[in-house]
Parts: sequence; structure tokens; C-alpha cells
Amino acid sequence: MSEVTLNHVAKSFGPVNVIKGIDLQIKSGEFVVFVGPSGCGKSTLLRMIAGLESITSGKISIGGTIVNDLPPRLRDIAMVFQDYALYPHKSVFENMAFGLRLRKLPEHEIQTRVNNAAGILQINHLFERKPRELSGGQRQRVAMGRAIVRQPKAFLFDEPLSNLDALLRSEMRVEIKKLHHRLGNTIIYVTHDQVEAMTLADRIVVLQEGNLVQYDTPDGIYNRPAAKFVAGFTGSPPMNFAPCRIGEGGRVLHVAGGVDLPVPARCVDECARHIGREVIFGLRPEHIGVPTVDAPGIERIDGSVLLVEPLGAETLGLIKLGKHDKAAEVTGRFEPDARLQVGQNLPIALDLNHFHLFDCKTGLAIRGNGW
Amino acid sequence: MNFNFSRRTTVWLAAIIVMVNGFFPAVWILLTSLKTETELIRSPITYLPEAATLENYMTAFTAQPIGRFLLNSVVVAGLSTALCVLISALAAYALTRLRMPHRNLIMSLLLAISMFPLISLMVPLFKVMRELGLLNTYLALILPYAVLSLPVCTLVMASFFQDIPPDLEAAAMVDGCSRVGALFKVVVPLAAPGVFTAGILAFVNAWDEFLLALTMMNRVNMRTLSVGITLYQGEFAFPWPLISAALIIALVPICIIIAVFQERVVGGLTAGGVKG
Repeated sequence: MSEVTLNHVAKSFGPVNVIKGIDLQIKSGEFVVFVGPSGCGKSTLLRMIAGLESITSGKISIGGTIVNDLPPRLRDIAMVFQDYALYPHKSVFENMAFGLRLRKLPEHEIQTRVNNAAGILQINHLFERKPRELSGGQRQRVAMGRAIVRQPKAFLFDEPLSNLDALLRSEMRVEIKKLHHRLGNTIIYVTHDQVEAMTLADRIVVLQEGNLVQYDTPDGIYNRPAAKFVAGFTGSPPMNFAPCRIGEGGRVLHVAGGVDLPVPARCVDECARHIGREVIFGLRPEHIGVPTVDAPGIERIDGSVLLVEPLGAETLGLIKLGKHDKAAEVTGRFEPDARLQVGQNLPIALDLNHFHLFDCKTGLAIRGNGW
Repeated sequence: MNFNFSRRTTVWLAAIIVMVNGFFPAVWILLTSLKTETELIRSPITYLPEAATLENYMTAFTAQPIGRFLLNSVVVAGLSTALCVLISALAAYALTRLRMPHRNLIMSLLLAISMFPLISLMVPLFKVMRELGLLNTYLALILPYAVLSLPVCTLVMASFFQDIPPDLEAAAMVDGCSRVGALFKVVVPLAAPGVFTAGILAFVNAWDEFLLALTMMNRVNMRTLSVGITLYQGEFAFPWPLISAALIIALVPICIIIAVFQERVVGGLTAGGVKG
């Protein structure tokens, strides 16, 4: 029993509302990632769960107990911090044992737990060292070890990898995922890196300006974004957007720059409800490429190449759709052998089976059944 | 290169001036304490004692109860330092870590208070102590000494606490400490250089203080060293070698304390705890 529940949790610093009433249910053993841009309130929300920040209103419960008024030490959680937060005056062993000593566990139990955790993280040989004698990756392992030995109801990670270099980051990401499989604890993980969020999470919480925008699986976040903000935040490069108007009984999208796109049959009914409305059309780069086969929903359009970014395994091309001066510019993913040249005119295939529409004002997705 | 050379020379020159300025009086007193009175007043003067003698030190212990003065000073300075460090650690923590309104105003007031001339507090302090019946007790000096050193100790510790990453405390609190537990188990050990600096300041202030010690304690066996030393002078005589010997005896505990703690008063202790 280590589910974490947030019931209309809010936080304000004076007149500024940083968390605006969040409801969330995290199942026992689930790996949930809070993601969002800087200042969206994700770290504050995590610290509220940890008890390091007070909450202005709402209820937080961990393992069925309401913890609103409990100090961090009584919440049975362990936390890994962005800056490691190892005690500089203690050795690695003592850093890991600190929480157990405070709980007055017998010495042999402390030895066993610390040795087990160190075994999992492969840091047994570092026991005698002080934090200043460790590399960044080793420090982060010790910080994780300090959390593991506690055997808490939930682990909280506050951007634990953001101080590591790219290679180490991807290694540690794998380690954390393995650790979750092995321990099976509830994990709440904060990051601003959407790759970390997508690869680690069972479910992702996308936050924007203190609001929960979407709480879904990585697949749901990526393929069925609830808002333009979510669509633009996930994927690299992000989704392409272009303003458009819905016309002709919901069967055609008039995209800015004079390009008309047919709406796939299964979406016509929903689009018909928004005829004449200005909306935002969205399509991911992987659904823009060189035409290969003709299939329902794949639309060919003349385009010209504005920019080429070869990445090795694939090439990104910035494409102007149509000939109009104000034509929409979109990024597409191409095979490296497509040999794109700047200025080249070529037919472009848009896979409209995966298009998205968003409301201009609210940014919320317009989606019918079966999209 | 020229620049480096001249810079080094300047640094050395400054260091020598500071050393001579600081050590000359102490060395002179040490040399005086080893001379006889006859040698001291002889002309021309001798710089090094011709026949060094420890007689003045022995007289210092028999002419006045200097052992008792020493004990009084150690008790008063030690306890007032402990009290001062404890309270200023809590105050410095509150000022640096808690979301406190008017923080800067409080800091400025602390600075202002530390500049109060002691003489202006003398009469009220004396009256308070007399009312409380604390005259001629250790508390009559311990309490005011702790209070007088409080502003400067708070400011010193606050500047050290500020450099300790707040996440370390957060980690300690998640690990199982209360807020006060985190302060004394993590923040204070890491701010050890600051704590010892503040402690030494408070101790030396209390050790050297004369005016309050003279006012609050009028029984001979409650005198502290700073006042006790003046008792060696007679109505018409200043036995300088004897007074010098007493002064050297008063210096020894301070030297020991600074020698013991100087290693703790080094920075860099927080290195490696967090990134960077």
C-alpha cells in the first residue's frame, strides 16, 4: 500500500498561486514523472509531497494516510536531489546509514541494508570515501543508495540527472528504470527533459503554470496530447503547427498559405461541428516525408526545402508547403538517402491519419471518438 | 613578472608590519616578566633579560589568588561562549533559512546593537543584576557577555550558514531529522569554521572584558583575571615584572584555545556535498 493521492492540492506564495488545485492518483508501484518547463511548479509539487513545502489547501495522502501536517521524517518517503545533497562531512557509508541511524536500527541491520543497496548500485568500494572524492555519477549513485536503504513507501526524485553529462545521463536513466523493476516501489520523478519522462514513466503528469494539463501514459501523451502545449513539449523535433480553418462540411482544412487538406473520413463528423472556426493544425515530423505508397489519408503536396539537418540515422528537413509567400513551414523526418538539397522542389507526403487540431484560444485538443 | 614581484613584496611587508604590531607588545611583556625589577629600571635598558628568572611567576601565584581568577575567567568566558554560540546559531539559522519578514531590518538592527558603547549599558545592567541578586555570581557576567557577543556571533554564523546548500537540510529532514535536528546534525557541523570563529570571538571578548567584571564582582575571590591583574599594583608601586608575569599567565589559555581550534577554522569543508 504505497499509493499517493493528491486531492485538489494548491500552493500560493503570497498573492502568487504556484500550484492551482491538482488532483492526482498514483498507484502503488507506479513510476510517475512530473514534466514541464522551468517554473511550472513541478519541483514545488514534489516538495509538497515530501513535506518540505507547506500546502495552502487540499489533501495529500501517502499509503492511505493523510500527511498534510506530518513533517518529512514521518511521511516514510525518500528523496534524491538534483544537487545530490550528500553530507560532505560523512563518508559514503555514513551518508547511506544516516537515515537508519536516526531511526535507531540495530547495527547489523544497518550493515545489511547499506551493503545490499551498495551491491545493487555497485558502490561497495566507495564506502570510506567522502563525497568530494567522488565523480558526479558516483555521487548520484550514493544519493540513490541513501534513498534505497530506507525502504520507503515512495521514492521522490527531483531532477536527479540534470547535472550529469549526456552519456552518463542515459546510463543512469537505464539504471533507474532497472531499479524500479527490481524494487517495485512507487516513484515520483521530476524532470524537464521529455526524453527522460517518455522513457521512464508508467504515467506522465504534464504541468503548465501550476496546472495539470494531462495525466496519461507516454503513448497517450505523445499520440493523444490533450493540449497544444503537451503536443509541443513532447517529441524532438516537436509537433508542427499551422493555423487553419475548417470548411466544406468539415471535410477540408484550409491551412494558412493556401494549402487545402482533406479531412480523413473518420474525423469528418467531429470537424463538421467546428465549421468555419479558426483552429490550429498539428502534425508530427515523422508523418511528413517523401511519398512512397498511396494510401488513404496520405496527401501529396508540392514543397520546397528551406533547411537540411542531417543527423546520421535520419535527416530533418524544414519544408515550405505550397508556393505561397505565407505558406506554412514544417519539419519532416526523411531517410538519409533522400538526399535533400536546400532550394529543391519536391513532392511531400503528409500522413493525415495522425493529424491533430487544437483550439486557438484555449489550446485544448479538438478530438472526436476514434481519433 | 615585475608586477608579481612587487605584489609579493607588498604582501610580505604588510605581513611583517602586522606581525610586529601584534607580537611586539606580547614579546616585550614576556621579556619583562623574566627580568627582576632592578634590571627593568636600570639605564641603559637591557632588551634580553641578563639573568632570566621565574620568580615573578611564583610571586604571581602567592601575592594574589591568580588560580582562582583564572578559574573564574574560564567559567565565565566558557559558559558565556557556549550560551552565545547556541543562541546565535538558532538566530542565524532563522535569519538565513526561514521565510522571515523584515529580515534585512533585523540584520541591520543586530549590526547597530553591536556598536552600542558598553558604558551606556553599565548602569542599567548593574541595577538589573542587583535587583536579581546576581551580583558576585558567575551569572552576573555570563548573561551580559553572552548578550554582548550575540550580534557579532549571529552575523558571523549567518554568513557561514548562507553558504550551506538548503538541500542538505532538506535531505536530513527527509532522512529523519526535525528542523532543529537538521540544524545541529548537518548545518552546524558544516559551518564549523563559522561556529568556531564566532566561539573564539565570544570567548576572547569575555576573557578581555574589564569594565563589567570590575562592576559586577567586588569580592576578591569572584574577580576575573582582567580585574585580578590590577590588584598586583600597590598604592605607590607598579611591580611591572610581576604584572607582566600575570599577564602572560592570562594569555596562555587564549593561546591554547586558538592553537587547538585553528585547524577547525578552515573553509572548504562543504566541498563535494553538492554539485560544483
